[in-house]
Amino acid sequence: MPGISLRGLVKRYGQVGAVDGLDLEVAPGELVSLLGPSGCGKTTTLRLVAGFLSPDAGEIVVGERRLSAPGAVVPPERRRMAMIFQSYALWPHMTVAQNVGYGLRVRGGLGRAEREARVREVLARVQLAGYGSRYPGELSGGQQQRVAVARALVVEPEILLLDEPLSNLDANLREEMRFEIRRLHETFAITTLYVTHDQAEAMVISDRIAVLERGRVAQLGTAHDIFERPRTRFVAEFIGRTNLIDGIAESADTIVCGTVRLRVASGGLKPGQPAALSIRPHAMALTAVMAPGALAGDIRRASYLGDAVDYEVALEGSPIVLRITTPPSAPLGPGARVGVSIPPEACVPLAGSIQ
Amino acid sequence: MTARAAARLATLDRSLPVWLLAALILVVLMVLPLGWLAWLSVAGERGPTLAHYARVFGDVPLRRAVWNTIVLAFWSGAASVAVGAPLAWLTARTDLPWARALRALTLASFVTPPFLGAFAWVMLAGPNAGLLNRTWRGLTGGEAPLVNIFTMPGLIFVVALYTFPYVYVIIANTLELVASDLEEAGAILGAGRLTVALTITLPLVAPAIASGFVLSVLQALALFGSPAILALPAGFHTITTQIWSFFQYPPKVEMAAAFSMPLLVATALLLWLQRRVLGRRGYAAVGGRGGQRRRIALGAWRYPALAGCLLVMTCSVFLPYGVLAKAAFARAWAQPLTWDNLTLANWTFTFLEYSSTRDAIVNTMELAVLTATAGAVLAALLAYVTNRRLVRGSQALGFLAVAPVVVPGVVFAVALFIAYTRPPLVLYGTLAILFVAYLTKEMPVGYAQSDATFKAIQPDLEEAGRILGAGRLRVLREITAPLARGGIIAAWCFVFIGVIRELSASIILFTPNTKVMSVVMFDLKEEGQFGAIAVLGLFMLAMTLATVAFVQRVAGRDVLGARE
Amino acid sequence: MRLRPLRTLVALAAACAVVAVPAAEPAFAQNPRVDGAKKEGKVVWYTSLALLSAEKVAKLFEAAYPGVKVEVHRTGSQRILQRVMQELQAGIKIVDVIHTSDAGHFVLLKEKKLLAAYTPAGVERFPAGFKDRDGFHYGLRATVNVIAYNTKVVPAAEAPKTWTDLLDPRWKGKLVTAHPGYSGVTATHVLALVHLLGWDYFKQLAQNRPMIVQSAADPPGVVASGERPVAANGGDYTFYQVKKKGNPVEIVYPREGVPLVVSPTAITVFAPHPSAARLFTDFTFSREVQQVLADSEGLYTGHPDVKYPADKPRLGDLKLLMTDPEELEKRNEEIKGRFVEFFGA
Ligand SMILES: Nc1ncnc2c1ncn2[C@@H]1O[C@H](COP(=O)(O)OP(=O)(O)OP(=O)(O)O)[C@@H](O)[C@H]1O
Ligand SMILES: [Mg+2]
Repeated sequence: MPGISLRGLVKRYGQVGAVDGLDLEVAPGELVSLLGPSGCGKTTTLRLVAGFLSPDAGEIVVGERRLSAPGAVVPPERRRMAMIFQSYALWPHMTVAQNVGYGLRVRGGLGRAEREARVREVLARVQLAGYGSRYPGELSGGQQQRVAVARALVVEPEILLLDEPLSNLDANLREEMRFEIRRLHETFAITTLYVTHDQAEAMVISDRIAVLERGRVAQLGTAHDIFERPRTRFVAEFIGRTNLIDGIAESADTIVCGTVRLRVASGGLKPGQPAALSIRPHAMALTAVMAPGALAGDIRRASYLGDAVDYEVALEGSPIVLRITTPPSAPLGPGARVGVSIPPEACVPLAGSIQ
Repeated sequence: MTARAAARLATLDRSLPVWLLAALILVVLMVLPLGWLAWLSVAGERGPTLAHYARVFGDVPLRRAVWNTIVLAFWSGAASVAVGAPLAWLTARTDLPWARALRALTLASFVTPPFLGAFAWVMLAGPNAGLLNRTWRGLTGGEAPLVNIFTMPGLIFVVALYTFPYVYVIIANTLELVASDLEEAGAILGAGRLTVALTITLPLVAPAIASGFVLSVLQALALFGSPAILALPAGFHTITTQIWSFFQYPPKVEMAAAFSMPLLVATALLLWLQRRVLGRRGYAAVGGRGGQRRRIALGAWRYPALAGCLLVMTCSVFLPYGVLAKAAFARAWAQPLTWDNLTLANWTFTFLEYSSTRDAIVNTMELAVLTATAGAVLAALLAYVTNRRLVRGSQALGFLAVAPVVVPGVVFAVALFIAYTRPPLVLYGTLAILFVAYLTKEMPVGYAQSDATFKAIQPDLEEAGRILGAGRLRVLREITAPLARGGIIAAWCFVFIGVIRELSASIILFTPNTKVMSVVMFDLKEEGQFGAIAVLGLFMLAMTLATVAFVQRVAGRDVLGARE
Repeated sequence: MRLRPLRTLVALAAACAVVAVPAAEPAFAQNPRVDGAKKEGKVVWYTSLALLSAEKVAKLFEAAYPGVKVEVHRTGSQRILQRVMQELQAGIKIVDVIHTSDAGHFVLLKEKKLLAAYTPAGVERFPAGFKDRDGFHYGLRATVNVIAYNTKVVPAAEAPKTWTDLLDPRWKGKLVTAHPGYSGVTATHVLALVHLLGWDYFKQLAQNRPMIVQSAADPPGVVASGERPVAANGGDYTFYQVKKKGNPVEIVYPREGVPLVVSPTAITVFAPHPSAARLFTDFTFSREVQQVLADSEGLYTGHPDVKYPADKPRLGDLKLLMTDPEELEKRNEEIKGRFVEFFGA
């Protein structure tokens, strides 16, 4: 099972770099999600890997094979990959069995009987046993999606590529299928690139997540890394909600903004330089009475969300307005004076703020 | 082989030669003849000259021919819209009875060669002998004819009868896409049926109407047979008949070339205008798949509307074919069909004695099938290349494929004549030159049809095949082609019909061994052999309908674009 | 019962064949040439003889010489010349025998060295007007240009009697004319009347807005159908045939004279089937075929032994207007050009 290396990959459309110097290493057997906002180059990257596009610069190496470089692109059919499309791309003129068996037929090497057996086996695996003679038009959306999965898996690809395969499903089915895909990955352990713009999906499915920003990898890491330690303002804002605080580093582990002074557990700040922090809304606590070490503030707005309450709190002595999420017990009303506790571990300095 | 070369080879897309070849064919088809045409229009004894242009446009009768053409084209376009648009709306969106039959009849007038229709109308509406006029005189006892077909309005009438199907097809297809909830939204707000039609439906299909108008104007501009049959006896020329008469001995090919230019420029200008006016929307005026379509109840208007539609069909199909059938079995077409006047002589003459018949039928059929097949394949390849942007400059290829639209048949024939009567390729005198002419002339139709077909096939479907290990050509064969089958077969039919009814290029390019049916019929017309033309005309219709019906049956699709 | 129409067709075909056979002549004496023709298999004939007549001659020949086909390509004289020249320009050599009604063409073709000298058997006795002095082309048939009218529409007393009668405004919209740009008969006619009456005649004739058809064989049909009651010109043989078929058509031989049109035939120098071409040419000049042309087609011929139908005037009784082929050739452009100028197309 080879891994994938994308090195300095560039793909331009006109002046715009859809992919603009992208580096990414996917370990053998690993599932990496490409996550990012619309238009950041996820699909383009995936299609570069598949060989549908040729890069303007950089290279793609799978195992020992250099598959793409400017002017030298191994065509898709010789890449030993499989792909699952957002639209599923099932061929309407072929039955489910023919769809699934196509890759085996094309790649050759197997007898007819053996092919049929493999198709039956994989259909059973995706819980579609007995559906072989139907046409795609006669299946539900979820079933179609599973046919697409079966068609990709049956050829035992070295690399599996998925482009938002769940976005056409309704919310319940989508959640179910997330776990299904993760389970399949754990069974087959195929090196996989998974494109999505849904962070929850990425977090459930991936070994690691690559957050893409304007055609580059902004941060690569586990779901936990990325959520808890976003390295850039962009990642912090894109992954979950966050509070961004700009101030001046007073020392290696203290930042000042107006009269407010915050401690940063990780340290490493550059004293005297501007610095920025990310603080997740749920990482802070609110108290009706001032606790020791807490900062004073006024509740501007409170929204009751059922399983949580969302507050906007203006800190005294600074322009900072924080969003804070707390459990719904004893909600406070707007105008209340409160104490805000910010643990140093909650303050994550962003790239550029640390040495 | 070095490792490097091997690596190179491994990355090469093996389908590339196929695309390049298709592109090359197209360029040669178009560029070579038109290049010669342009050159000859300015070629003088010593270097380039504008003398031919000066002669052509300094000449008053020739200028009059230009003006006649403009009048003819404009009013034919307007009349085609006036007939085709309501007909399309009625059959596509209302509860008009017999909508299917009307569609079939529209197809029948679509496959009718315009020159055959014109010829039939000579028998119907010649001022003195025309059957309609005689009936009219019998009824009124007057002297004056009801209609005189040998006039400009008569010519416009007959031309419009056979160009309105173009408007019909475009508008009917567009209406299929307009969801009726748009119209119902209007109705809920209290608008009446007519108001809805005028304020909502009409604006939605306005681009399609404009396209239909331009298309039928282009058709009328390029027609040769109808003016030759109706305008020449009345003593006036159009550009096409004039160009044709430049070929009389001694031929003035350079003047024909110079005189072709206004037609070329006019068509190009029209298409450009159309693009400007419609923006990038082009023919596909209303995007997206329509929601439900409910038919509008016509109420009391049902039967008057039907009568109107039937009147159109009477003029374009029933009367002409009726009179052709009569002429085919009559000794004298103008006399009543009594026992004495009944004969099979026209049939025996045409099929047993007239020595051109057999060759002409064989040539026509051969050319039609060959051109339709080559055209459908080439158009499909080109549409595929441009839709999938397979080669650099593929957009230019798409443009080239539709470019022949701006070249009227006569003009293109002049160009081909010039290009292929001299080395390196002397094609004149072979069926090949007709094949080239037809292929090029029908390419826009075939391409437009294929283009629409491939636009509807998501690239995903092909990519899914590629990534599973099938090469480009294999995917084309096993996935794309089966999906595109219906559309490609429709393209085949369009090209086939186009070839069968082609006269304007054939009339310049044929030689005795390469006569086609239309040319033979035109020859017969010049000698006034009504019976034989009628026989051949009926035979031609039967032949076309049988082929199209057969192909449709195989394809399971309605050629005029009705979706099932 | 269902086979009825088919059987009728077959019977008709058989009948045609039977009619055709008796024309066979004792041509088998010239056996080597017949063999040569058979080897060539066919002869290609560009002819302006009216289609039905041309096909009939072809069928007669094929019946007389089984195994040699006649490929008839019938069109107007001017179109024939156009085709021949156009084809030669592209190096296409198809035609064996050329036959048009414009004697000027043969002047031109001879000048361009495109004709083979060949004297058909038996033409020595033809009148001088039918023979080229250098032996390249010979008049196969002749016709005169006449006026004709539809007797149902025009009473005999009111019918035009002379060419100038046609200028009367009462014929406005009632005339039909063939086109010199298509028909050699008509081109000859125009030249003859220009000599007689001047171009002014045609200028005035155009004021009556005649319907313009192409072939000189077309006006008879137009008159017979009543579309236009009077033909301002046309070969008398085609009117004669239409009349014979029972159509209400009457022919007028104007007193001022009738233009005589002698239609020559010649073999091309490049003929791909030279033996068949000679055999066919001889055949068309044989008394039998010339008699058929006179009898059923109503043509005049140069053959001294031909008998004419009783209801046709003798050529000798008519005042004939003659034209000079050389002049016809030289003024070809002028004739077409001015006609178009006056008549519009
Ligand atoms: N064929 C193309 N021509 C021109 N620009 C393109 C083309 N394909 C993509 N782009 C541009 O490249 C950029 C990246 O597109 P891409 O499809 O990779 O985005 P994405 O991350 O997949 O977005 P989404 O989540 O909306 O699917 C976009 O700005 C897009 O407009
Ligand atoms: Mg995308």
